[in-house]
Amino acid sequence: MASITNDEAAHLLRRMGFGGSPAEIDDLVTRGREGAVDYLLNYQLINNSQMDDLLARSFDFSNPLANDGKFNQGEIRRWWFTRMITTRRQFEEKITLFWHNHFATSLSKVNDFYMFPQNLKLRQFALVRFDTLLTEVSKDPAMLIWLDNITNVRGRPNENFAREIQELFSLGITDVVTDQPNYTEQDVKEIARAFTGWTFRLNRADPFNSTFFENPNNHDNGAKTIYGETLNFDGEDVIDRICRRVATGRYLVKKLFSFFVYPLTSSAADKATADKFANVYMSSNHSIKDLVRAIFTSDEFFSARAQLGLIKTPVEYVVGPIRMLGANYNPGLPNQRRDGSLAASTRAMGMDVFAPPDVAGWDLNLGWVNTAAALTRFNFANGLASNRPGNDPVGPWLTNDQLRAFTKSSSKKTVKKFLSVLGPLHPGNSVIKNLRNYLESDDQGNKVEWSVTDATIDKKIRGLVHQIMCLPEFGLN
Amino acid sequence: MPTTRRQFIKRGASAVSLSLLLPRFLTTEALGQEAAAAGDRKILVVIQLGGGVDGLNTLIPFTDSRYLSLRPNLAFRDTDVGATMLDSTFALHPAMTAIKGLYDAGKVAIVRGVGYQNSSLSHFLGTDIWMTANTNGGAGNGWLGRYADQVLYGKSGLQAAALGGQLPKAFFADKMVVPSISNFATYTFQTDPRFNGDRNNQLNTFNADNNRGLPTDTFLGALASTGSDAVAGAAEVQAAIATYQTAPGVTYPAGTPPNQLAPFLKMAAQLITTIPDANLLWVSLGGFDNHSDQIGDDEDRDNKLIGDHSRLLGWFSEAVKAFYDDLAGHGLADRTLMMTFSEFGRRPNENASFGTDHGTSNCLFVMGDPVRGGMLGEQPSLAVSELDSAGNMKPKVDFRSVYAEVLDKWLGVSSRTILGADYPSLGFLP
Repeated sequence: MASITNDEAAHLLRRMGFGGSPAEIDDLVTRGREGAVDYLLNYQLINNSQMDDLLARSFDFSNPLANDGKFNQGEIRRWWFTRMITTRRQFEEKITLFWHNHFATSLSKVNDFYMFPQNLKLRQFALVRFDTLLTEVSKDPAMLIWLDNITNVRGRPNENFAREIQELFSLGITDVVTDQPNYTEQDVKEIARAFTGWTFRLNRADPFNSTFFENPNNHDNGAKTIYGETLNFDGEDVIDRICRRVATGRYLVKKLFSFFVYPLTSSAADKATADKFANVYMSSNHSIKDLVRAIFTSDEFFSARAQLGLIKTPVEYVVGPIRMLGANYNPGLPNQRRDGSLAASTRAMGMDVFAPPDVAGWDLNLGWVNTAAALTRFNFANGLASNRPGNDPVGPWLTNDQLRAFTKSSSKKTVKKFLSVLGPLHPGNSVIKNLRNYLESDDQGNKVEWSVTDATIDKKIRGLVHQIMCLPEFGLN
Repeated sequence: MPTTRRQFIKRGASAVSLSLLLPRFLTTEALGQEAAAAGDRKILVVIQLGGGVDGLNTLIPFTDSRYLSLRPNLAFRDTDVGATMLDSTFALHPAMTAIKGLYDAGKVAIVRGVGYQNSSLSHFLGTDIWMTANTNGGAGNGWLGRYADQVLYGKSGLQAAALGGQLPKAFFADKMVVPSISNFATYTFQTDPRFNGDRNNQLNTFNADNNRGLPTDTFLGALASTGSDAVAGAAEVQAAIATYQTAPGVTYPAGTPPNQLAPFLKMAAQLITTIPDANLLWVSLGGFDNHSDQIGDDEDRDNKLIGDHSRLLGWFSEAVKAFYDDLAGHGLADRTLMMTFSEFGRRPNENASFGTDHGTSNCLFVMGDPVRGGMLGEQPSLAVSELDSAGNMKPKVDFRSVYAEVLDKWLGVSSRTILGADYPSLGFLP
């Protein structure tokens, strides 16, 4: 069993989750590479009852159609952030976030009482056979509404879903390895016909379980020619044909890499990487779990190129440091003291969960980099660092005792400890020197000896946390 | 085009070339650009009235017998609108005396019957359609984002901003990143308010750490340079607005409950009067979704002069007047065009809750010294045969005609390149 270093374990946890405390990272180190991946991947084995209890106290989604304020767009966002911050099953949240971005569906068009069960469905089928996930998502009301399949009927096909299921959800326009087109416009038209009649019925008594059905009056039973094969295809046949193509495996690898590893380029080496992992997809009967396990245990994943080789998404920027520092967070109750501040923060940074900008999802990495979002990130950092315990603090907060646990007797060791907790980050000696100077400067800018007191922790250690979160290195993941 | 195709919202595709918020001292020389002199400025302020304004009770056809019969409780009669009558058939809502004054001075054009065919009755879709000028699903970049990509991108200094709320889809663009500034107090590199004495140390450390000469073609360098620009750009905005003074004799309305539009129009004035390139501003006032209790009651008697709709229109009217006067005092009233819109109008037939449901056709206002005042467009008929199956009015003016005229005649760009087609001019601009 391959061993892993502390930095590698932290890297793994930042990618399969959002990051964790030094103790959590130590625990992963003891498990070794495969052991750590399997621990995070087989999350159903991890006891999550604390989070379940917290969710039960903090939310009331028992009557989603009632207009009582207990179920709405803000509440499902608060629900998801509460999960991401408090779950012990970090990969469950991260892979759900990946699929939310992959099958990007938005509250801008779809009601909350359809978006929420879609999220549950993404969790339920996150790691099964890709064919099954694609089928479940395609039959789910949120997608049927989002890409207009409910108006895709015999004689008047709507091609929206037929196009996107190929372009964005499975094959890609061109093959990741060969650059050859994966389908024709005629395939789009014929696939639209195959999905005619796919619709659903709202279950008013239980809107999270609305019923999919294929309306026989609206389904086109004629022969369709798809990828050169002529049959009376229906939607499930199309999904089967799509999923058995290696192009789907390659495209999924590309999407998984750009979210979890590093962006794949069109270089020969990267095409070989895409092909290698696509073969795992093909040889494992399209198992998502086998594919992601192969990726997370790979040398590519632990390469220097991968470590800190992505830019933190806003969700990672917000949730990550809360988990790394062990900050306190009180989500509030179904109808009072609700903390919606985290969703508001990521929205201001360009990532409104449950509302990606369009069906292609968020533009990752440099897509997050602009001046307006940068200021929002820095100010979130200041809020987290300077938010203190109070009666009802809005947003997560840190106590001086929590900060004292990482504070050392020398300024150099203190800086290095916090760089380690929040990364580990290795920004070089000039930055360490700048941060030490910060700890050792009084209000007039004169040097003073570093000493650990309640006063210096409350002032300078909080300032140090803010400063580290403003480092470009912290912006990386 | 499918309705939710990728829109390529590249929020800073290249951080290196992202100069909209670069401090001017860093770029003006490099780009060889001069701030436009005041005499050349063309300032546009869009006022979004969110929720679907009841146009029939904004520009009121007080003699229309159908209007009076469709709204037994909500209709305003000639006796209600004596102070705000525009002519023998139309009056403004009685709460809009301030705008009535501007109208009398020839500074308000009211476009009637604005909308589009097969109008969406959804707030979200309707808003997207108005924001993108795409009536087929509201997908794609914003109409002003497309303008900004074409005209503003690459220029130095703050060119455009959304004030008070989230970035509206109207500003979504391929290249240009328009900041949304919720308030100036927080639009700065914030530090722990408990230790203001430490702020300089914080800023110095931040600047040292983010100006290390990291290669800009890496993620790391892009984060550092953009972060550094963000903090410097915000400081520049702060320095500029610190020089702002409200024009003598002008007071922005406050009131109880406080006017919800005035603070944002004041922010717009702060930017316009202190930053010579800040020419495209967006503000919004929400709450017009008056399904119930559109009018108020006063000691158990219906009173149309109070209630939600009246209060909102009063806020709108008074805030616009103060903003106009402020800009006039700064010599910029002739450089500034204001334009309102709402995602839809409301149904002619009142509902059983003293409110109105979602409708279609609406009126909108284009205001300022540059306009040719008066009423334009055509008021849709309320005759039964002229209403659609939901009982809504049929629009007479495509809203893109309004955009086209603003683009062609005010912003000086070919509207066809922004809107993809030609739309007839209405004539509210000379």
